[in-house]
Amino acid sequence: MTVEKLALTTTSPARKPRSEGGGDNALAAELTRLLGPKKVLSNLSERLSYRFDAIQFGVTPLCVVLPESTEDVIATVKAARRAGVSIVGRGAASGLSGGAAPMQPAVVISFTRMTRLEIFPEQREAVAQPGVITLAVTEAARPHGLIYPPDPASFRTSTIGGNLGENAGGPLCFKYGVTGDYVNALDFVDAEGELHTLTRDAYDLAGLLIGSEGTLGLITEATLRLTPPPKFTRTLMAHFAEVGQAAEAVSAAIAAGAVPGKLEFMDGACTNAVEDYLHLGLPRDAGAVLLVDTDGDDLDTVEEERALVEAACLEAGGVVRRAADEAEAAALWQARRSVSPALGRIRPQRMNEDIVVPRSVLPEVVRQIRALGDASGFHLVQFGHIGDGNLHPNILFDPRTESAEAVHHLAHQIALVALRHGGVLSGEHGIGTMKRDFMRDAVDAETMTALHNVKRALDPSGALNPGKILPEEPHA
Amino acid sequence: MNNEIPVQALGPQGEVMAHAVDACVHCGFCLPACPTYALLGDEMDSPRGRIVLMKEVLEGGLDLLDAAPHLDRCLGCQACVTACPSGVPYGELITSFRGWSEPQRQRSPLDRAKRYAILKALPAPKLFSVAARVGQYAKPLAPALPAALRGPLDLLPEHVPAMQPSPEVTPARGQRRGRVAFLTGCAQQALAPNFNAATLRVLARNGIEVVVPQGQGCCGAAALHTGARGEALRLVRANLDAFNPDDYDAILSNAAGCGAGLKEYPVILHGLHDEKKAKAFAAKVQDISEYLATLAREEGLEPFLPTSRPLKIAYHDACHLAHAQGVRAAPRELLRMIPGVSIVEIPEGDLCCGSAGTYNLEQPELAGQLGARKAGHILSTTPDLIASGNIGCHTQIQSHVRRQGSAVPVMHTVEVLDLAYRGEL
Ligand SMILES: Cc1cc2nc3c(=O)[nH]c(=O)nc-3n(C[C@H](O)[C@H](O)[C@H](O)COP(=O)(O)OP(=O)(O)OC[C@H]3O[C@@H](n4cnc5c(N)ncnc54)[C@H](O)[C@@H]3O)c2cc1C
Ligand code: SF4
Ligand code: SF4
Repeated sequence: MTVEKLALTTTSPARKPRSEGGGDNALAAELTRLLGPKKVLSNLSERLSYRFDAIQFGVTPLCVVLPESTEDVIATVKAARRAGVSIVGRGAASGLSGGAAPMQPAVVISFTRMTRLEIFPEQREAVAQPGVITLAVTEAARPHGLIYPPDPASFRTSTIGGNLGENAGGPLCFKYGVTGDYVNALDFVDAEGELHTLTRDAYDLAGLLIGSEGTLGLITEATLRLTPPPKFTRTLMAHFAEVGQAAEAVSAAIAAGAVPGKLEFMDGACTNAVEDYLHLGLPRDAGAVLLVDTDGDDLDTVEEERALVEAACLEAGGVVRRAADEAEAAALWQARRSVSPALGRIRPQRMNEDIVVPRSVLPEVVRQIRALGDASGFHLVQFGHIGDGNLHPNILFDPRTESAEAVHHLAHQIALVALRHGGVLSGEHGIGTMKRDFMRDAVDAETMTALHNVKRALDPSGALNPGKILPEEPHA
Repeated sequence: MNNEIPVQALGPQGEVMAHAVDACVHCGFCLPACPTYALLGDEMDSPRGRIVLMKEVLEGGLDLLDAAPHLDRCLGCQACVTACPSGVPYGELITSFRGWSEPQRQRSPLDRAKRYAILKALPAPKLFSVAARVGQYAKPLAPALPAALRGPLDLLPEHVPAMQPSPEVTPARGQRRGRVAFLTGCAQQALAPNFNAATLRVLARNGIEVVVPQGQGCCGAAALHTGARGEALRLVRANLDAFNPDDYDAILSNAAGCGAGLKEYPVILHGLHDEKKAKAFAAKVQDISEYLATLAREEGLEPFLPTSRPLKIAYHDACHLAHAQGVRAAPRELLRMIPGVSIVEIPEGDLCCGSAGTYNLEQPELAGQLGARKAGHILSTTPDLIASGNIGCHTQIQSHVRRQGSAVPVMHTVEVLDLAYRGEL
């Protein structure tokens, strides 16, 4: 079994160390000397707590640093470099691709205490340290009549650093874009411990860092763009007998000229999982549910767009419900936000895909994936930001009774469906370790070489988050 | 979360623990809700981290001693339970874990003495009252005392009132509409006897006969949550014998911690012969505010007299009411029924005030930080009055609000209702 497949279960190789209390490795001692004891964790109980993210358990780190400033990060990177130890950045560890889970003994730099946040309303900018919780940016900006639109479902938990690492998006990304679209400038510490400040002009190196999952540098500050919120929002829910119909409605609505603020989809399995948990009165028999917000500053246009979407849904055979008021709209969106964790009630483990396909092929793709799931015997569910063509097929499984290899095989089949239809492997959750194997199918050999060259240019010794994104290079 | 907890070897409580660990998908949604995570910003002091630590200890991969400091810092506030979308019963996990692990702990003599004193004094109102009085005289000495002893003193109110035992039966006034049993609470009887007196008056005024069954004792929550499982079982069984659920419409508590404890009886007795009895008992348990709000909705309450001036009340959600029992709306509904009252919401309202049972005694530093943070948030709303439904929160908030130089009154919800009936608000 490869490391990736092993890591799909919690039984990773380094799982069962004996509890030896003190961290007696030289690096921990050196870091403690440099940063003081409060910022360095070296006991086993402390280190064990930093080996996982929301999907996966990895290898227990050698030590953990909780920096409070950019200087702390620089000192840590330099010390790790001297000791020849690799480095894994970590935010809230809500990532869904194993990004923050170390794949070999490493120092984990957890940014949760770097939480300084300043709002500059005149410039419509926020300057945030990486540990700032995503929602906090909007909360701080709102009194100034501004918001920060990137809104992953995890926005109450995830950090700006992690969002940048994964180029996170959310329901609003269809109309408003993803994290990367809101970054004006970045500070990052490179593999040698040097600090750089990047803007978006000249070479867009900031763009390179965004979505690089901590494999090219560690982001220590970001200047984020804020916008005024739309004045009006209208919400609509439609349900369909079959998943393909929902996808047809989406294609038709967009073709007709609607630009909804949010356009989300959940299949029947998701709807039922959420209903079991929240009891919102969602249609349990539906094969798929669409959730749509149209928004803007002109109410007539907002209503017109909602009418366009409504017509497309009816045309595709759907049943439409308009949210009467804000409370009803909020309840519907709560349903969507709760999908992901509500699935955990069905099976303890899941393999999360994050494919993006052209909208024109959506009906075909969701149908093919549904068929693969039905044939596999696994519990497969689909949801996602369907307006973007971003789908999250999830395989739910119990590692004690179901084979991790079979899960991996099914995930691979799904990835291939996306690739065959002109899609890509990741919309927003990253490649991490989970989909690293599939990169060979997605990227041709020349492009892969270019990616490896970029990685080598910024991180020659491969110290930054090893085992993520890029498959091992075939030995020349 | 996949695990290899040896359920067979751990018995019925092992089942409870393994189920909770199973249910966690380590999504991290609970992190921002956790007070210790808010203060310390590290994974081990978050709910997700604690679940992993408990799992490791139960599986045998980690020494209890290594995990203990982080588990000890858990307030048991259950804010994580409210936040968790996967329905992980964290409260059941930590309680069972503490019961399982306590016998294996080696504690310092001072620690042991402190815990012994708490466990003996809390369930014995008279003893507690005496201790509180002695403590009150020791208060001026506090700065000279070791930190471990300062915590308990900080907790004491300015005046320790005289004991007022509750009558065995308080008859309904006017037409009798119901009959309930009432758990009088322990520390509360000594520290704030008016809570109980007000409760009896408000119930009686609404036609409810209140019985205080003899033989009732401490709910057992303090013992249970500090891991003294044997002691807790003894107290639980005594209460099951004292209250016959068939005799009453409801079994009421006006202390959120005790109420939550009573509702937990079936979990404590899971797999033991009294489990069925515990279930019948727990099904009848309600917080005083739940009971009154239902009564208000179904049959109506005696009308309250209006306040003499507009009154802005900051209502503080006790963790054991809001998170452990899911009671949030009822107290607000009741307070709003008083003409002239408006309710203000407290910023970061879901975060624990740091009182959390015996936490003040065991983790004085964190408790102090949380108390100061809570008092600051409350005072930022410039309230005329602070209300809450738990004795622990009451003393903690009162002490920190005073420390920040404010004289705003702090009351139990039912005290406010009682004053409104008498036209004294
Ligand atoms: C229930 C649930 C729902 C989710 N919904 C969405 C969604 O709708 N949209 C979405 O996009 N994602 C979603 N996610 C995934 C996840 O929340 C996002 O990927 C988020 O951006 C991760 O943030 P984090 O702080 O948890 O980062 P982590 O998981 O800690 O880290 C993510 C990656 O970023 C790297 N990293 C962290 N900090 C830094 C830094 N300062 N510098 C460089 N690299 C760094 C890490 O090494 C890792 O590779 C969801 C997750 C869950 C559990
Ligand atoms: S929110 Fe629930 S499922 Fe998620 S990590 Fe916390 S306890 Fe586990
Ligand atoms: S009970 Fe409270 S303190 Fe303990 S882990 Fe949950 S939220 Fe944190």
